[in-house]
Amino acid sequence: MAPSRVVRQRKLNKGTPQVVLREDQIESTEYASLQNQYHVETGVERSEENEYHLQAALKASSGAKDEVKEIPAPPAQESSNIKYDALYARQFHDPYTYIRFSNTVEEASGCSYDMTTEDDDFLKAYNQKRSAAAKCSEDDFEKIMDVFEQTAQSQAPYASVDNTLVPFERMESEVSKFFRRREFPSDPLPREVTVEKLVAFAKDIYDHWKDRRQASCNNPIQPSLKLEIHQENDDGDPYVCFRRREVRPTRKTRARDVQSTDKLKKLRREIEQGFNLVNLSFSRELTKRDMLKQGREIFESRAKFKLIKVKLGIKSEDEEYLINQKPQRRKQPSDFPQMQRTPGTQIRLPGRSDGRPLEADLVLLSDLHAKKEHNLQRDIEEKTRQHLKWNANHIDLTREPLSPVVYGPDAGFRPATAQYQYLMTPPSSVTSECFDQPSPSNANANEILEPRTFRYSTPPEEDEQRSQPAYRRRIGRGGRLWIDRRGMSGIKSTDDGVSFDRWKYDQDDDDEQPVYEMDPYDTKALRFRATIPFPQHLYPQRPQHRPAAGSPPSARPAGQQQPPPPAVAPT
Amino acid sequence: MTSSAQKEEPTVGSPAPRQRGRATIDTLSIGCLAMVEKDGRPRRAEILSIKETKSGRQFYCNFDNFNKRLDEWVPAPRIHFDQDVEWPSPEKPKEPSKKTIPPVAKKTTVTKKTPKRPAVTREDSIISEGETPHPWTEFTESQKATPDAEGDITLALDLDATPDADDDAMDVDEATSEAVAAKSQAPEQFNNEEEKKRLRHGGSMTQNQAEISRIRNISKVQFGKYDLFPWYFSPYPEVFTQEDLMYICEFCLNYYGDVKSFTRHRQKCTLLHPPGNEIYRDDYVSFFEIDGRRQRTWCRNLCLLSKMFLDHKTLYYDVDPFLFYVMTSRDQNGHHLVGYFSKEKESADGYNVACILTLPQYQRKGYGRLLIQFSYELSKIEGKLGSPEKPLSDLGLLSYRQYWTENMIEILLDINETEEKCSIDALAGRLAMTSGDVESTLQALKMQVYLKAEHKIVIPTHLIRRHEALREKQKTKPKRTINPELIMWKPPVFPASSRTWAW
Repeated sequence: MAPSRVVRQRKLNKGTPQVVLREDQIESTEYASLQNQYHVETGVERSEENEYHLQAALKASSGAKDEVKEIPAPPAQESSNIKYDALYARQFHDPYTYIRFSNTVEEASGCSYDMTTEDDDFLKAYNQKRSAAAKCSEDDFEKIMDVFEQTAQSQAPYASVDNTLVPFERMESEVSKFFRRREFPSDPLPREVTVEKLVAFAKDIYDHWKDRRQASCNNPIQPSLKLEIHQENDDGDPYVCFRRREVRPTRKTRARDVQSTDKLKKLRREIEQGFNLVNLSFSRELTKRDMLKQGREIFESRAKFKLIKVKLGIKSEDEEYLINQKPQRRKQPSDFPQMQRTPGTQIRLPGRSDGRPLEADLVLLSDLHAKKEHNLQRDIEEKTRQHLKWNANHIDLTREPLSPVVYGPDAGFRPATAQYQYLMTPPSSVTSECFDQPSPSNANANEILEPRTFRYSTPPEEDEQRSQPAYRRRIGRGGRLWIDRRGMSGIKSTDDGVSFDRWKYDQDDDDEQPVYEMDPYDTKALRFRATIPFPQHLYPQRPQHRPAAGSPPSARPAGQQQPPPPAVAPT
Repeated sequence: MTSSAQKEEPTVGSPAPRQRGRATIDTLSIGCLAMVEKDGRPRRAEILSIKETKSGRQFYCNFDNFNKRLDEWVPAPRIHFDQDVEWPSPEKPKEPSKKTIPPVAKKTTVTKKTPKRPAVTREDSIISEGETPHPWTEFTESQKATPDAEGDITLALDLDATPDADDDAMDVDEATSEAVAAKSQAPEQFNNEEEKKRLRHGGSMTQNQAEISRIRNISKVQFGKYDLFPWYFSPYPEVFTQEDLMYICEFCLNYYGDVKSFTRHRQKCTLLHPPGNEIYRDDYVSFFEIDGRRQRTWCRNLCLLSKMFLDHKTLYYDVDPFLFYVMTSRDQNGHHLVGYFSKEKESADGYNVACILTLPQYQRKGYGRLLIQFSYELSKIEGKLGSPEKPLSDLGLLSYRQYWTENMIEILLDINETEEKCSIDALAGRLAMTSGDVESTLQALKMQVYLKAEHKIVIPTHLIRRHEALREKQKTKPKRTINPELIMWKPPVFPASSRTWAW
């Protein structure tokens, strides 16, 4: 610090931009005097902050000299007597993608008991006396020991305190239960035999286990971490580790405060509502009571009145004195239609003053349904009309266009009607305006009540039958004229053995009529057909006979949407 | 910090010096301060434990102002019995064991108000001592934690006998009971309570050390291809303290005292990489993210392993609230654990690292910098500023300082060239560092100056030179860095139910 001039510094604000200079951009004499002597918070614990090697290293790193000081630490060495490749024999192949893995250590390392040298000695001695087939393998030994240890842990968790030892009978059942659940793919013997063998091993190993268990004061044989057991000495014992954490308190934030006040407000509101409800129903009951009281008074007054009338001998209609019933009754049904139901227990419904039967005012469920249905229907119709309007004059010039919704059962297809007598003659030309539009007669014929299928580019449902041949004329790209056909019997080239084969065994019934193949373009057939019309029954029976591709081999360009199945063929 | 301050107080203020006098090998007891030979010269050391070996009695010494990782078992000939020893004060039996470092610290270093003078004296001694090589082979050979065959009479602080298990065994050894008593001593207990409360909900670093844990308990560990020599205590099962060599499986980190068990385990273990999702991979290292709650065993094993090299790490509480980011290097055998850092799923103090460690066999190779960089890259993705949990270790401080310095100098030089201004907050934002860390680094490097009624940042020439040298070096040998584009990671979100750490 410069003793000559003591400058009072302004507080450094972390947000203020500061000029960045190099040391050589300021006067060197000034720099030395200007350096602040801060106490720098290192973050190292204070008793260690002054450690000799740390200070040396810090000095070296912040100092001007280019030396690097390192803090000495006991280094690691390569192990001299380790057969690394034998121990870590598994080969690793780096997958192309990043590894995703969620198995735990327990799942990845098999049987949790690892035999020790002591076990090894025992097992070797044990196996020595036995024939090769009757030797106990290390794996089996470990599994048996594992079952022992786990059973002991679950049956006698306080074994180290009360020194209980799980008897062998117990163990035996556990061992056989354990092995019965397992598969022995490498073992040629039947499972029962294998299990019996293993249980026999278990019997011999049990004593060994007991010895080892006793040697470790009836603690688990494998060393384990000391976890908390909630005893007083737990706390100071540095070997006790990984205690449970406690529930983290939620941090208080403004948002959370608001949240909880909102919750409280809501709760209060709800309670108040409940309170009001109770209050109101209480007053309602009070009113009811009053009403009953008054009703009784009226009744009694009437009775009196009647008596007086009888006494005085006045003969007139009683009704006029009982008017109070009328308006009361009339009002109710219109306001609460359901309320009318409650007196339904009465044997006879009271007649209405205007003579109409009560039911007349009731809304019938069926009526409602009908109305709803009607509305729905109207809605749909409205929408379809709208759609029709939108799609009118639609010409999509894109490649493989999303074709407009096809309306009507036939979408421009006309049946080859009787006038042609199934002769494969295209229909006479129509004006181009009615391309892809249902012909007027068609549109009128099935009006709009037909259920419609709205379909975009989804594949068409498999048309089950196309009973009648039909045609459509369209103008394609480049002004080409297309004639689309459908309902044709497939053109089968006679040498198409594959598709014939494919359907060869695909006959469901034996009694089906034999199907005769024919090529409609065959000139012979054509000539023949020109003279004789086909019998009608041939057409509906073709479904299995269609080519495998599922589409008639028409001139329809690829990718074009198939028209929906025709509805019932018009006339 | 309060705890350490309290620890220091009484010793600084205590006017009466300890009793001094000559000792013999038989009278030297736990808690004594004696001159012990270290690296060829005598140093004040505290005796923390005594054991009998075949070759005679050995003393576990903590050297004045040396990190605990340099503590060692010392045979009697290295102790200067011709000089006075300081006896533990008899009226307060626990005091010596508690306050060893502070009284010593008082002598060489003084309080913070005059930091310059001790630094100068220290510098002298550093230079003179700098040349003496550290005889590590000798060091490691002598450090078996337990005596050989006949040395059953270990006087070490209840290393193998839990104090409450056998009471009569305890009064045989006065020192042991002292240490046990010290554990439950009142003022210390209070601090412990405070700290436990703090750690109950989060955090992994402690500023309190239990008495027993001042003595290294595992002597040697075989880990993969390497033999590791632990630096600090780690609460592995107590039986392992009697083993000369402990085996740790390189992949699942399970621990074995018996070589047969270890070999058997290796035959069954199928892990070849840390059991989690890989979130980063370049041609040099990979990073895995592992949830302490899901991989409890593996993460506990990792903590036990790292505790051997981290002094202030606490394993008092479980690993559930942490995520572990594990760095590995690949070869045909699998992903080898190089280092890791843990991170609280939700840190109340804004820490982005809880514990950070490069395993000793990979130290001084630039891996630490990668770990640190990765931690900041994650913070950048989260859009947060991060800082490592305190206290830092000496090595941690150096690594972080180096990382901070290099990155800040680089940015500041750029800013200097474009003649712009830069605030501390802006620097912090660019590096995802907290502004406190930026500020302290600037101060530590003496870059924050007050000139012409303005705060300015001045880059010292020697740092510029060093930076240029570093760049020059990188042209020939590029520095390994983390490529943020290869990180495939989204900040994990934990629903409220999993944020309560109770089981």
